Amino acid sequence: MRILRRTLVLALLCPAALAGQIRYSASLDFMGGTKLSTDRIFQDITVNQKLAPTVVLGASLPVSARERFGVELGLGFGGTNIKESGFPTTSGPSYRTLSLTGGVEGPIFHRLRYRAGAGILKYLPDKQDFFRTGGPTLLLLTGGASYHIPLKGDLALVARLRYDYQRFSSDEFAANGFTRTQDVHRLGGGLGIEFQLP
Amino acid sequence: MNRSTALSLVAALALAGGIACSDIISPSRSARYDWRLFITYDSGGPQVDTLSFHWPRTSLPVRIWVEDQFSAPQRIQQGIALWRNAFLYGEWDGRIVADSTTADVIVRTIQPPPLTLPAPPRLGAFVPSCLGATDIDTVNTRFQLRLPIRIYVYPSIPGAPDLDECLRTVAAHELGHSLGLFQHSPDSLDLMYAVPTADALTNRDHGTAENAYHFRADMVPFRP
Repeated sequence: MRILRRTLVLALLCPAALAGQIRYSASLDFMGGTKLSTDRIFQDITVNQKLAPTVVLGASLPVSARERFGVELGLGFGGTNIKESGFPTTSGPSYRTLSLTGGVEGPIFHRLRYRAGAGILKYLPDKQDFFRTGGPTLLLLTGGASYHIPLKGDLALVARLRYDYQRFSSDEFAANGFTRTQDVHRLGGGLGIEFQLP
Repeated sequence: MNRSTALSLVAALALAGGIACSDIISPSRSARYDWRLFITYDSGGPQVDTLSFHWPRTSLPVRIWVEDQFSAPQRIQQGIALWRNAFLYGEWDGRIVADSTTADVIVRTIQPPPLTLPAPPRLGAFVPSCLGATDIDTVNTRFQLRLPIRIYVYPSIPGAPDLDECLRTVAAHELGHSLGLFQHSPDSLDLMYAVPTADALTNRDHGTAENAYHFRADMVPFRP
């Protein structure tokens, strides 16, 4: 909370001074995750996620000598597989995800840094099947680590490992009598660059 | 924030993720009626077989040709949307096609021709202003469903004030038979009741359709 307050004050009072300290990042991650839902109609039915390429843009600024506060905007391209015992696995609806997270990052060891944060995740699906009435907006908890390899000047290559957690359901599931939510864990990795504008 | 605080935060997040074990709970689908076809056959005496059918995924979307009279294409289009929305996992879909020779289902707006022996099962809907019928031809093996399935939807009282509504209901009802719901519901509120008045699917219709599409199919579609 103290960090957030300090960041907001800094952002309001001295944007010009901060501009030179903002580090930007862009990366391409591949996220895999646990099932989105389960059902039972004679057999167990599982809705699984396909591997989702995700473009992530970020910006961060220092909030202490070691830590930085950053925001990340991610656009993912996902899909689903529906698996039912005794039936062929079929493709389910595709979707895009838009995520906005804020978090703190800092050093762990040498060039290895952690990131922990929270935000929102919006599903932007093809409107069909269990996404017929649209996609949900969910809370997202994120964590991860990144390894920074300096390249030239303020440019660095970043290898990322990301984890996030959400509780999934959809309006269509709810309208059909589904209750509670499905814990969804996603884990992914990717490569990106980080740089600082002069 | 110092390093240990940050690491604690990361650990807490991971722990929260790791120990959380909430699963979505699916609804009970116990409210349903029997949808299967009862076929009599001879094997050392008359026997009855109970057969289930649903369109395989490879046949979707089901191609439906509709005679352009009494706004039947619009009625069938509404029926397609109604049944498509009964499913959560894309189990059934249909589309209207222009060429009847490639159609899986043919919808006519005339009275059905008289059945000739051996007669295939004919399922009907009997509403005062209009009538409907669907011929289910299981060929000789019982395990093949001959395509195209033929549906008849036609007015019995031309110019009746409720004809539009009647045709819409009966078209959706007959389309339900073509999906594989080969029985009538015993409940008068259901669309698949023999004298249907519902203009939407009830939970029983919905649950029965879902059950039919997740039950082992005994019959496969067959085009001679």
